[in-house]
Amino acid sequence: MEKEYKKIKMENHAFMQDVAKRFKEGHSSVTFTVYGISMHPFLGSGRDKVVLIPPASPAVGQVVLAEVLPRRYALHRIIRIEGDTITMRGDGNPLRMTEQFTADKIVGTAEAFIRKGRYVSTNSRKWRCYSAIWQACNPIRRLLLIIYRRIILKIF
Amino acid sequence: MKIKKGFELQNVCGEYIIVPTGIENIDYSKIISLNETAAYLWEGCSKLDSFTIDTMVELLMREYEVEEEIAREDCEKIITRWVEMGLAEE
Repeated sequence: MEKEYKKIKMENHAFMQDVAKRFKEGHSSVTFTVYGISMHPFLGSGRDKVVLIPPASPAVGQVVLAEVLPRRYALHRIIRIEGDTITMRGDGNPLRMTEQFTADKIVGTAEAFIRKGRYVSTNSRKWRCYSAIWQACNPIRRLLLIIYRRIILKIF
Repeated sequence: MKIKKGFELQNVCGEYIIVPTGIENIDYSKIISLNETAAYLWEGCSKLDSFTIDTMVELLMREYEVEEEIAREDCEKIITRWVEMGLAEE
C-alpha cells in the first residue's frame, strides 16, 4: 500500500481552473493550503489554509485570489479600488509591491483562514483586529517583517 | 459491495482524485487520491450495481498482468481501505 498521506502539488493555473469549475458546479467554498510568504505574518507557507468562496463584490480590506498576470495568481489584500482598477498587496510584501487587475480576474474571495489549525473567519473580531493593527504598522512593516522572519520564525 | 453514491472520480492535473459531489465545501487539503490502478478499479466497480472481490480480481486481471493470488490480495486490501474511508459499503 502506498503512504496514507501525500502532498500533491498542482500547477497553479490548472488548479485555479479546477477551483472555478467547482464554483460553477455549485460548491459554495473550497479549502486549500497556501504557499509563499507574501501574506506573512498571518499565513504561514504550507501550514495554513484558506477557505475561498466565489468572487464577492470587491471591497477594500477583502483578501482575494486573483489572476494578476496571465497564469500568475496571488492571494492578497485589496487596498484600493479606483473605477475598474483593483489594487491589492500581500501583507508580507514591501509597500511598493502591489498588483492591479479588474474584477473579472478574481477567482475567489477569502471567507476564512485556517491558521495553525484554527478557523478564523474574515468577519471575526480577531481577523478585523489583526487587519487594523497590521495596516497601522505600515510605516514600520519592513522592520516588523525582518524581526518576524529572522527571529520569530527561527525560534518557533 | 458497492461504491457509495455521492463521489466522483476526476482527473485533475494528472492526479486521480475522489471528489464528493453532494457537499458544499471541497477541501483540497484532505482529498482522496487514487493511483492509476485504483482509479481503473474504481471506474469499473462504480459502473456496477454491486460487486464482489471476484469481480474486482477479474477486472484487475483483465487489464494488468498479475497472478490471481496477488491480485486477490491487493483487491482485498483496497476494498478494506475503501470501506474504512467510507467510499464503499456492503
